[in-house]
Amino acid sequence: MECVVQGIIETQHVEALEILLQGLCGVQRERLRVHELCLKSGPNLGVVSSEVRLLCDLDQPEPTWTVKHVGGAMRGAGADQISVMVRTMVESKVSKNALRLFYSLGYKLDHELLKVGFAFHFQRTAHISISVSSVNKMPKVHAIDEAVPVTPGMQIVDVTAPATPENYNEVAAAVSSFCEYLAPLVHLSKPFISTGVVPTAAAAAASLMSDGGGTAL
Amino acid sequence: MPVKWVLHWQPNQGSTVSSQILNEATQCVESINGVKEGRWKATLNYYKPMLRDQANQAEFPRDFLGISIVDDPSKYYFIIRSLRIVVEADSSIQLIMEKLQSYKSKVALYFEGFQYQLGDFRLRVGKVVPTHSENVRGIVMEVEYLPISSMEKARKVMEEFLEIWHEALSKRSLPGKFVNIELNFGEFGLADNYTPQHTAVRYAIVMAHMIATVQAVRG
Repeated sequence: MECVVQGIIETQHVEALEILLQGLCGVQRERLRVHELCLKSGPNLGVVSSEVRLLCDLDQPEPTWTVKHVGGAMRGAGADQISVMVRTMVESKVSKNALRLFYSLGYKLDHELLKVGFAFHFQRTAHISISVSSVNKMPKVHAIDEAVPVTPGMQIVDVTAPATPENYNEVAAAVSSFCEYLAPLVHLSKPFISTGVVPTAAAAAASLMSDGGGTAL
Repeated sequence: MPVKWVLHWQPNQGSTVSSQILNEATQCVESINGVKEGRWKATLNYYKPMLRDQANQAEFPRDFLGISIVDDPSKYYFIIRSLRIVVEADSSIQLIMEKLQSYKSKVALYFEGFQYQLGDFRLRVGKVVPTHSENVRGIVMEVEYLPISSMEKARKVMEEFLEIWHEALSKRSLPGKFVNIELNFGEFGLADNYTPQHTAVRYAIVMAHMIATVQAVRG
């Protein structure tokens, strides 16, 4: 399982966010260029319809592939009390012909995206990953070179951390406290609960750009 | 990784496979000075689609199987033999398959037995049994030549080894023989340099032959 929060930021403030993250994480950023294919089971396949994502990391000398399954979010009073989404997530690295396998099994391409940006991975209480990316759609199937932004001028910020049924409370707390540092620039909340851009972002960004970065945690 | 052949026991017409043959084969390995190194195990699952309408069954592969092999237990391999597809994945892919609820295991088989070292060769001899049963459905033998990973380069030495092996086994007058199936790995997108994916394909083909043999006897 994993803990996850999401937010949006105007592209003009992304550079300031990067400076802040650099200071907070104390690690080098990694480039992010991922082709994401969302597959859905055909009409007759499965007890219920199912969805699986194939991620192709294009920022490698030889692109690498991962199958990812994201399950339902934890519900109930306990889940309502924490400010991050806790959901099941299973990943598996796969060889490059995985798409052909899933097509052969009766899965169909539902949609595909190209995410371009950067990411930071660091370890504090939890192993936290932050990605900032523009999400692009393709006018034709697999035409990643012709991809155009879904939301021009806007980028997505994802913060995720792997968790277990035993430690998700601590991981959620670690993610929440980390998000507070980013609050002047981006508001992070449970996915699908959009809270929009932060009104103070422009002022915070201007301040960050002038002093060259935040202080380390 | 080293080149490997996977042989299977082909009983003579009218005879069946039994654990007695497995005993004879392991004794034979020991008689040619194979040094027992311990146990080994592999598992194989045949998957079938979970369909809402059984009428469209023909649209889905009937020979979709997954296997975990001794070469790399952290990996899992999917094979659709008829479509010449082999896919390598982390073993967590099995959990993803469970969560998708689109395919389920209809038959699970174990391969289990002993591993031997014999000079530059590693041998594994084992039985094929369904889970929750002790009924021997087949016997397999892995022959690995440790110094070479090119299949073409290892061919001669493998063939020579098999001659010695067949000769040693012939003294026991068993009702059948171990056979190696020649495969065109290129059809599966695999090159000459041996990988665990080659082993996965070999097992899929061995199983297809075993099933065909059983069906021929029954038929």
